[in-house]
Amino acid sequence: MSGIENAKKMSKQEVLDKIAASGILEYGLHHETLSERIRMAEEEAQEERLELGVVAALNNADTDGVLLEVLKENPEKVTGGIAILGYALGTDKLSLHIPESAAELADLVKDAAEAENVEIVTGLVNKRAEKGSVLMHMITAAGLSDVLEDSFVAGIYVSANGAELKKVACDTKLSDIVDLSEAKAVLAGYRYIRPETAAALTVGEAEIDNGLLRILTEKDCIVAETDEKLTASRKQSCGRCVFCREGLLQLQYMNNEIKEGRGKPDYIDMTKEIGEAMEFSTPCTMGQVSAKIVLSAVELFEKEYELHMKKKTCPAGVCFSAQTIYIDPRLCSGCGDCADVCPKDCIDGKPKYIYMIDDFDCDRCGKCIPECSEEAIVKTSGKVPKLPNKLTKVGKFRKR
Amino acid sequence: MAVITIDGTRLEVPDHKNILECALDAGIYIPHLCHHRDLNPLGSCRMCVVEVEGQEGVTTSCTLKAKDGLKIKTKTPKVERLRMLALELLLTGHPQDCSTCPKYGNCELQMLIQYIGPKSGRLKMRTKGFKPQEDNPLILHDMNRCILCGRCVRACNELRGVKVLQYQKKDMETYVGTLHGRLLKDADCRFCGACAEVCPTGTIRDKVLDSEKAREDAIVPCRHACPAHTDIPRYIRLVKNGEYDEAAAVIREKVPFPKALGYICSHVCELECKRKEVNEEMSIRDIKRYAAEHDTGSVWRGKGKQLADTGKKVCVVGGGPAGLTAAYYLRKQGHDVTVKEALPLVGGMMSYGIPSYRLPREIIADEAKVMEDQGVKIEVNTKVEKPIELLKEYDAVLMAIGGHKGVCLPIEGHDQKGVILNTDFLRNASMGKETGIGRKIVVLGGGNVAFDCARTAKRLGAEEIHLACLEARASMTADDEEIEQAQEEGIFVHPAQTFERITGEGTVTGVDFMNVKSFSFDENRRAIIEKEEGSEHHIDADTVIFAVGQRPDITEEAGLELGRGNSITVKDIERDKKTSAEGIFAAGDAVYGTKSVIMAIESGREAASQIDRYLGGDGDISEVLAPVRKAESYIGQCPGFGYEEKKYTQIDSAKSRSDNFDLFDHGICDSDICAEAGRCLQCDLRLQISRPSTWGDFSENKVV
Repeated sequence: MSGIENAKKMSKQEVLDKIAASGILEYGLHHETLSERIRMAEEEAQEERLELGVVAALNNADTDGVLLEVLKENPEKVTGGIAILGYALGTDKLSLHIPESAAELADLVKDAAEAENVEIVTGLVNKRAEKGSVLMHMITAAGLSDVLEDSFVAGIYVSANGAELKKVACDTKLSDIVDLSEAKAVLAGYRYIRPETAAALTVGEAEIDNGLLRILTEKDCIVAETDEKLTASRKQSCGRCVFCREGLLQLQYMNNEIKEGRGKPDYIDMTKEIGEAMEFSTPCTMGQVSAKIVLSAVELFEKEYELHMKKKTCPAGVCFSAQTIYIDPRLCSGCGDCADVCPKDCIDGKPKYIYMIDDFDCDRCGKCIPECSEEAIVKTSGKVPKLPNKLTKVGKFRKR
Repeated sequence: MAVITIDGTRLEVPDHKNILECALDAGIYIPHLCHHRDLNPLGSCRMCVVEVEGQEGVTTSCTLKAKDGLKIKTKTPKVERLRMLALELLLTGHPQDCSTCPKYGNCELQMLIQYIGPKSGRLKMRTKGFKPQEDNPLILHDMNRCILCGRCVRACNELRGVKVLQYQKKDMETYVGTLHGRLLKDADCRFCGACAEVCPTGTIRDKVLDSEKAREDAIVPCRHACPAHTDIPRYIRLVKNGEYDEAAAVIREKVPFPKALGYICSHVCELECKRKEVNEEMSIRDIKRYAAEHDTGSVWRGKGKQLADTGKKVCVVGGGPAGLTAAYYLRKQGHDVTVKEALPLVGGMMSYGIPSYRLPREIIADEAKVMEDQGVKIEVNTKVEKPIELLKEYDAVLMAIGGHKGVCLPIEGHDQKGVILNTDFLRNASMGKETGIGRKIVVLGGGNVAFDCARTAKRLGAEEIHLACLEARASMTADDEEIEQAQEEGIFVHPAQTFERITGEGTVTGVDFMNVKSFSFDENRRAIIEKEEGSEHHIDADTVIFAVGQRPDITEEAGLELGRGNSITVKDIERDKKTSAEGIFAAGDAVYGTKSVIMAIESGREAASQIDRYLGGDGDISEVLAPVRKAESYIGQCPGFGYEEKKYTQIDSAKSRSDNFDLFDHGICDSDICAEAGRCLQCDLRLQISRPSTWGDFSENKVV
């Protein structure tokens, strides 16, 4: 007997009582009991005279979607959970939101959704439009099916270092799932923690709200990693709220500038100012949570950020190392066209002499390359030949 | 009721009312941008954040509901810092060129910048790089200026139900637009203008909005263009709903000849109709006609104003549209009114100028009957030669004698037998008298009256009819419809002709013409005509009808000062209708020359108001006849709206209409009327939308 079948044999109140008795919590970023969420939604619906509804989704802030595995594995459990709550609340306004990035899942869950009259919606949950509905994580919905099957066990879904998603008991130690010995940082849920902090935590305490657990080693660059996450959030944000839309843009811009070695001294403070304001300046988790990654990064790995900004050095060797731009001294005709376009003013020389790029100031923008009629300017990630270190007349440079 | 405190001020407000509006209504300004009174609160711009005592953090006041005991602070350092940051963030994607923006001075964002004064230069600025969309009719989009307050999206979706504008996203840049960037017309926009109305910035703007005119007039141009300011969108809406009695009552609030106007109004309103920018203008006149024809009078009859008798007596000389209108409203103001009409029927040019195939005579009789029922006394066959003598019996006199004397051009041969004047000809034809025309007619003139003459001659049995005028075809003053119908009836139209001479020796044998190469007016409004050399030609005719204008039939002997074109001089054509003689007023064509029935009606209304004031009344002749209702703002979706074609009237064939005086235009048919009325953009709905409140409106911020 599936959960929904069991539920339909009970009265509505009995189902609600059973949910309360199970103590099932909302999964993901909100940690109150499902019963509490139901109560709040009912209150809101009554106050504003809105139709009650049930909506299941991932948290809006979730850009990785690893928890979608649960839906893929067993769509009936999720749609069944939605239907159980719909039955208990006497509403047939039921929907399941699938992120746009995983829109193809709609086909997979179509049959299960149709069976329970659950509408499939692609995209984020518009919290304002869903007022009066019980919003729950799709994992909560799956758990609800278990509750009605009397098989519910609380636990946390974790995908460690990209491995298959597994449900583990809350009191499992993080160190039992992943090897922390090589770790520089641990990405747990939506933010970084230090390995020593992680070592003391259980999965229940680690806020792995999106199922993501990843070890970053000395070979990973925090700045570059953060840049990816912020970009993913910008792509996902619906862009309707100022702080989420413009805030994320500023955060990602500054982080990217730092990554490229163009960071300015006030970027860290501004990142904190904007990031902290974002936490309470939007109605949904997209804005509230997506700044956490960069806030934890600049707080825990300030040194690494400073190295990028002040020394243009990436300790992990991820940034900068890749490329150098130089002027081939055998090809340079000493025309000076390259120096004219350099936004950093870091090409030295004078007419008839071989021009030289100051590698420290150069930010590898590459604007000089197309200017050179001799095709003497080269961008390479390989070995750089011997170059002149003082003004040398064209044609006079000799390899010694 | 809930008792709340905002910045120490105790307020009693309804439960659940949003705090932002509580504050604004109490004269406490809280900055806001995405909020709009007529739209659901969004809380996205974060300008209206406040602190609530006993609660951590800040909250948007637009989404906060009033509850007993709530204590709110709107100006703490924390909220001011957050507002500043929010505004800084908003401005990063907004061009910094206020001074070149068309919204300069009316922009809510600009006013917020002035109020908050954000820091600048800290954050990364960007240009969004959207191409301004100028290919839509009526509405311009420049998404570079958009700050995504979402007002337009809510107005289009929640307020109007049209659902054309939505949030879209491209390359991480959110913007507002139609699905797949379709043009508004293809996205089924209804061009109501609500988006432009609520846009706080210069993003969504009106393409054509005459800034010279008052806002209301520019937004609803048809109503403004109508000389009598008939509430056109309102009656069209009623016709759409099948409420013809109500619609007729709306028309009657401004004009006492709804039906006659429905047939022959010069409809300047249609020239201004905004729908013409989308595809074709509305058939406003024919909608009016439909309403008037289907009116049972149940709404307006017996209603309206009738003040108690004042004991004052007014004589109106001339029973045309101006005179009758004035008489009607003067009677309603309580005066004893007598109309003296020289001819056997009232109606003026409606009875003796406009042929009955355009306006059946019983319509005028019906509408004049309403006036008699109201107590207006009408004396026909009474020509007044000495108006000043009327003052012995009456307290005031209105000269509304129209222009019943045709103009004859003093060209060679004009005084022969067979030369007749437009007014005489049309009057005689209307009265069923002998007109004196022969078989081959030349009408000289290019206005509607000339066509009335030509088409009347056709119906009287003339065999060959030519119409010639000085103007080129494109600048002829007659309606296109009139010219085309005349040609269908076999009348030859010769534009751009000079009238060289009328040939004949005592009796007309024809007219000599030359072709006009160019025709214009110099700075003194004198005609400059260049003729085409060697283009002399002749048209044989036994009758020549002059249709080159008409003048008031009055001489100096009447004792009134006369001006250009024999018109009666008044103090100020627009504002003061007093003539040179105390107690005598003048209105209509007699004052400003031949214009239109609707102009005459407006002139009559204005005269009534002025005479009422002269007699000690308040001059307020306005009245409410139709039920006052708020128009439905949720207009909903209508696929293909922009492409809906104008519906035309049913017109008899040229063959069946050109040998009789029966009405040949039967108006818009029953099955088309709802669709035609439904094409209206309802420009006036926009005036129901609340205006924004900006900090300058609040006394605490006013510069003393």
